[in-house]
Amino acid sequence: MRKWLFFIPLVAFLGLAVFLFSGLFSDPHLHENVKVEQAMPAFALADLENPAKTVTEKDLLGQPYLLNVWGVWCPTCNAELGFLTSLRAQGVKIVGLYYNQPTDSAFGEQFDLPTLQRDVARKLAEQGNPYQLNILDKDRSLIFDLGVTGAPETFVVDAQGKIRYHMVGDINPNNWPQLEAVYQQLVKESHAGVTP
Amino acid sequence: MITEAGYLALVLALALSFALTLFPFYGSLKRQMEPVLLARPLAVLMFIATAFSFYALSYAFYTNDFSVMYVANNSNSLLPWYYRLTAVWGSHEGSMLMWLLMLSAWTALVALLARSLPLILQGRILGVMGLVCIGFYAFVLLMSNPFERSLPFYPVDGRDLNPLLQDFGMIIHPPLLYMGYVGYAVPFAFAIAALLSGRFDANWARWARPWALAAWMFLTLGIMLGSWWAYNELGWGGWWFWDPVENASFMPWLVGTALLHTLSVTEKRGTFKSWTVLLAISAFALSLLGAFLVRSGVLVSVHSFASDPARGLYLLAFLLVVVGGSLTLYALKMQSVRSQARYQLFSREVLLWGNNIFLLTATLVVFLGTIYPLVHKELGLGSISIGEPFFNSIFHILAIPFALLLGLGPWVRWKQQPVTPLVKPFAFIAVVTAVISLGWVSLYQSFTANLALLGLLLGVWVMTSSVAEIGQKLRSFGGAVGLKKLTLSHWGMVFGHLGFAVLVIGVAMTKTFSVEKDVRMKIGDTVKLNEYSFVLSDVYALKGPNYLGQAAELEVYDEGIKITHLHAEKRFYPVSRATMTEAAVDASLTRDLYVALGEELPGPSWALRVYVKPYVRWIWLGGVLMALGALLALFDRRYRQRSIAE
Repeated sequence: MRKWLFFIPLVAFLGLAVFLFSGLFSDPHLHENVKVEQAMPAFALADLENPAKTVTEKDLLGQPYLLNVWGVWCPTCNAELGFLTSLRAQGVKIVGLYYNQPTDSAFGEQFDLPTLQRDVARKLAEQGNPYQLNILDKDRSLIFDLGVTGAPETFVVDAQGKIRYHMVGDINPNNWPQLEAVYQQLVKESHAGVTP
Repeated sequence: MITEAGYLALVLALALSFALTLFPFYGSLKRQMEPVLLARPLAVLMFIATAFSFYALSYAFYTNDFSVMYVANNSNSLLPWYYRLTAVWGSHEGSMLMWLLMLSAWTALVALLARSLPLILQGRILGVMGLVCIGFYAFVLLMSNPFERSLPFYPVDGRDLNPLLQDFGMIIHPPLLYMGYVGYAVPFAFAIAALLSGRFDANWARWARPWALAAWMFLTLGIMLGSWWAYNELGWGGWWFWDPVENASFMPWLVGTALLHTLSVTEKRGTFKSWTVLLAISAFALSLLGAFLVRSGVLVSVHSFASDPARGLYLLAFLLVVVGGSLTLYALKMQSVRSQARYQLFSREVLLWGNNIFLLTATLVVFLGTIYPLVHKELGLGSISIGEPFFNSIFHILAIPFALLLGLGPWVRWKQQPVTPLVKPFAFIAVVTAVISLGWVSLYQSFTANLALLGLLLGVWVMTSSVAEIGQKLRSFGGAVGLKKLTLSHWGMVFGHLGFAVLVIGVAMTKTFSVEKDVRMKIGDTVKLNEYSFVLSDVYALKGPNYLGQAAELEVYDEGIKITHLHAEKRFYPVSRATMTEAAVDASLTRDLYVALGEELPGPSWALRVYVKPYVRWIWLGGVLMALGALLALFDRRYRQRSIAE
């Protein structure tokens, strides 16, 4: 048998190791989303605190903002509320997109707005409220249009309503600087009145 | 106090693992016996220190010591004591400590049980185990210390254990799985020790084989238990999801299965040596790779632990040293090893080649399916995911030649098998297989070529051939007295193969005939799923100590004959405002029946969810039979003898 044959396993393993190594450093938060560099999808959804009011994508124009997809049922979302609240104190505009879990009406789970409002209010009172407003996506239509794969996810949207950045997972002091750079750039653009 | 003692014990164990590596290798290099003799007591001491450390962490959980961060993060004072103890391995740090406990237990077992091995070989095996231990002990101490305190500001109470983990399955699923994973360190150490000495005789394979069997048995049970748990706890119906972490446990299992078979060739025929060694290395390498994938956050899965690139980097470096090092050693040393044996095309050797080809193709499929999304992303081609249909379709195809060969294998002799003597028995086996499986399938459907028929044909083929082979052996031994002559490892093989057959039938039948329905029923209504008629006989209000609710009574008939009664409840707990569905399950060997009561609808009628899952229990029964086979083979007399040469 040829001697080099015995080196095949080693070479194959080293090849794999290269990919494992690069996989370690590719940030899983930078999950691709096809909506980046596209306009916010059109929507007309109720404000969670004030359901009589309808929010549309046009209401959010004029200032860059973070669109944070979250739900009280999602532990990671709850964990990031505190940090997001500190960002709000620094003047970052954060809009919540409330991810309502599907209800199984056959099993007695029915959508109950007062209960949901109570749960949300309690959670925000406990952990801090980072949101200027919360959009209630009861049937997950906007979430579907945005291609959200789970919660939490955050979109950075510029003053003209164009999605400029997307990340999966929680925002924390470690990854905020990266996001902040994007956000501050958009703030600068909006002040200069530049249309990218 | 005891927490700090636990930490110190772990540091001591690390020091012992260094000694365990250095002394025997030094001794074998200098040809001195005294340092090699130290290996055994060192291994046992290392286990004792680790066991104490594990005890210390368990004690912190038991006594609700929330100044220990890991305890505070994974337990709380309201949990019953047994869930507090199982919470020890509910998260990353503690599960790594359990990993160490298992690793040191295997090392100590090798030290205690391998006393009949030549001293130098013993020393080298323990030395390699020590080297592996160094890597893991250092990992836990440096990067995942479970004993870290949060003093002086410690929480009053801890966080809750994930409710899904509060289950009996969780108590034993990870330990068994880890026993399997870590167990492959032993055949790995045997392989490296043999590479160092350059000796690969039949004795070596005979010594290594029981360890490969033991690791395989634990891994089989661990995987089966995980599957059963998923079925019960994570929502009904699913028993395997091709999740990356499941795949990470499945790959060492497939390679481990291949290893069991080639070890028997190496043991009995002195050939396939380089292949066997490569498999022994690969089985452990895949266990390590699994640990890396799960704990580094490279792959995203429901099982993933919190990810941390530093940990991932450490594990990758460790993987490079251990696997890269051993494959280099393999490439350098194995070139000069020659296998002498000759065999014909139709021989057991060639059939076992076939076994290996299919098992390794399966491994490769799982491997690529798991790792390809990562490679794809790193090449800048975007995110993709590979799902169930891909794996299922390939495994359906691979199962056919694999099962056909499996039925043939035990009948075929080593070296050379003339075809003529097999024609008659196999004509008989083929006819019996056809009759039984067609008869079997006709109980459920007309004769259509589908997965159920395929699964039955393959399963029954393997069963018939296994049973007939025992019959033929007994005849050649002269009747029932032959029962005593059959070795335990032969019975082990038979049980392993029967287990596979049972599993194949279970998978095929469940996949083909499972029915799930959401229906609306009034009292007296009937719904029919497969041959079962579910009649809703009554629904009434419930009032429990802390809940209100409704209960439904259903009678199940099979062609007019009542077979069981099901009682399903829906409870509402006013205090926590939680609704709980207490489903009714009637499990039996040939089917599981399931009913859950839903919402009351106007009429009055009720929403009900009804499942029929034929043969789903066979999947786990097959796994249990396979593990039993490994256990029987472990107790074979010849693994307890001294080396053949002596």
